[in-house]
Amino acid sequence: MTPGVTRYVDVASRFQARDATTPAWLQRVRQEGLAHFARLGLPTTRDEAWKYTNLAPIADGAFAPVVTAGSTAELSAVVARLALPGPRLVFVDGRLSQELSSVAGLPRGLTLKPLRDALVEDGALLEAELGQRALAAEHAFTALNAALLEDGAVLRLAPGALSEVPVQLIFLTRGDAPVLASPRILVVAGEGSEATLVETYASATGVSGQGFTNAVTEVTLGDNASLKHYRLQAEGDAAVHVGGLHVRQGRDSRFVSHNFAFGGVLARNEVHVTFAGEGGDATLNGLYVGRGTQHLDQWTALDHAVPRCTSRELYKGVLDDRARGTFHGLVKVRQDAQRTDSRQQNRNLLLSEHAQADTRPQLEILADDVKCAHGAVVGRLDAQALFYLRSRGIPRAEAERLLTYAFARELVDAVPEGPVRASVEGLLAPKLPGAPRTEVTA
Amino acid sequence: MALLSVRNLHARVGDKDILKGIDLEVGAGEVHAIMGPNGSGKSTLASVLAGRDAYEVTKGEVLLDGKSLLELAPEARAAEGVFLAFQYPVEIPGVGNLHFLRTALNAQRRVKGLEELDAMDFLQMAKEKSKLVQLDAAFMNRSVNEGFSGGEKKRNEIFQMAVLEPRLAILDETDSGLDIDALRTVAGGVNGLRSPQRAMVVITHYQRLLDYIVPDKVHVMASGRIIRSGGRELALELEEKGYGWLGLQDGKGAATKGGEARR
Repeated sequence: MTPGVTRYVDVASRFQARDATTPAWLQRVRQEGLAHFARLGLPTTRDEAWKYTNLAPIADGAFAPVVTAGSTAELSAVVARLALPGPRLVFVDGRLSQELSSVAGLPRGLTLKPLRDALVEDGALLEAELGQRALAAEHAFTALNAALLEDGAVLRLAPGALSEVPVQLIFLTRGDAPVLASPRILVVAGEGSEATLVETYASATGVSGQGFTNAVTEVTLGDNASLKHYRLQAEGDAAVHVGGLHVRQGRDSRFVSHNFAFGGVLARNEVHVTFAGEGGDATLNGLYVGRGTQHLDQWTALDHAVPRCTSRELYKGVLDDRARGTFHGLVKVRQDAQRTDSRQQNRNLLLSEHAQADTRPQLEILADDVKCAHGAVVGRLDAQALFYLRSRGIPRAEAERLLTYAFARELVDAVPEGPVRASVEGLLAPKLPGAPRTEVTA
Repeated sequence: MALLSVRNLHARVGDKDILKGIDLEVGAGEVHAIMGPNGSGKSTLASVLAGRDAYEVTKGEVLLDGKSLLELAPEARAAEGVFLAFQYPVEIPGVGNLHFLRTALNAQRRVKGLEELDAMDFLQMAKEKSKLVQLDAAFMNRSVNEGFSGGEKKRNEIFQMAVLEPRLAILDETDSGLDIDALRTVAGGVNGLRSPQRAMVVITHYQRLLDYIVPDKVHVMASGRIIRSGGRELALELEEKGYGWLGLQDGKGAATKGGEARR
């Protein structure tokens, strides 16, 4: 073990020893998580899955969880800025803030609970569901998250429950100390249910906040269920974020992921989708926008394990200054997965000489009756378009901003009009100032 | 003083000389046509005037109302009143046509110390101007030129010209790719913008366009030079006799008969 890993193991051991009343099953989940983490250690660039991402900012083990959120009233203005209309749970430095949370207006058929309550009240469900999609044995960060399991959220959709109102989880880091936050989110969607879940990650201190968030979200979609999932990852430029979204789709289910990665000096956003029933449909959208020395790593894996499923994936990166963006997109089509229809596209726009993009589409196709397409592009602003705009009188810098936003907006426009879109635009605006003011239409 | 003075203009791409000494004077209120076979340098002249940086000007000068243009950036030239109607208008997905045009107009107005137009006032003005080329409102709301037909793109160019009200309009092969109805509409728009305060340079391979936009003067370019200038009759003579009449090779069709020879 490296000294850093030893420190995280010590921190997690102390955390686990703190509470003797923990039910046995939960103790086991945490202990197994710790054992796996100790065995796996932190990945290095020698690991294929982490080839482009250096974990130096967290490797020394300096981050540790806090016990409670403390007084959070002073953060109400920050929350008001981030909050969508509708029910929400708010976490500060990884701990639930009762006073900032509000589950009023939760639509019928939806149950939203803080994980710490559910661990006590719904032990049987959680014992059955936790760690089923995200496997601690296979992923160091999932293991570390399991070792520190305590806060997070459980969202359950009764069969047939339909919700138009987004459910929001806001994760704030104060940013003034090296805090390790380990939220775990569990979504269980019953047959034919439909909902929208928004995870918003931000620093209370704005751009300079530090902190290390290691989030794991597990989603199980029943037959014909539908989930729109948003991840608005917009912490301060000194923060570190590792997020894993693990989804299992039932027959004829629909899943849409909108992954917006704007914040952090180092951020890794993983999306893993497994089709477990025929006729499933998954759309993975991603936009990563980096500047300064940000390193934004997108890692996606689609497992077409059964026939007749459709996946659409579009990830775009905009990288300025010395920022680096990486995209890894694995599409696995198993032997039985005939009539799979899969399309993957990754496009990167480099705005400076020193910005960098690495793109790795990876297709493993074992079935023969499939439609699979993929494409990857790394480019710069189109000189023809730039000249066209300038020839009409638009100054170069403004023309560049217009074209940059035009490149990115496809992912913003993929969000249905409404409060979630507005929230995305608000978080994006400081990073991409070319967004048009609302134009009156003819 | 001429509105536009081009004097001994030389330009090249890489080490290939394309313009080899162009002299051209266009007065306010005048429309000049520049004709010539493919590869004569017509479109290069248009690009150099608008400030495309792919070309290096090696000699000569360009004056607009006596002010030198060559050291100005394209956007500064636009603010001085230069407008290029592109031969191939660029498609810009994700940038709304109206937003683009308002941004452009307001950028020019800022340079001139004028107040910017808000979205409502701009929309009203734009709607008025769009009638000139019968551009449907739907096109104003779409992304710049994206998915437009050839004719729609050219109409959009003239619409932009109407909104930006340039001092000097350069129309680069505005007739290319247009059927006769679209050509009439576009030419009608251009004619509606003729004014005693404005000069136009109409670049074309074919005389056909000049049936609709009647020039005051016609220049024939070849190998980077203007080899002959005259009145409108020069264009008619070219139509009659072809570029071969001037001893010019034009591999891809002559200047004859309505320009059906498509490139």
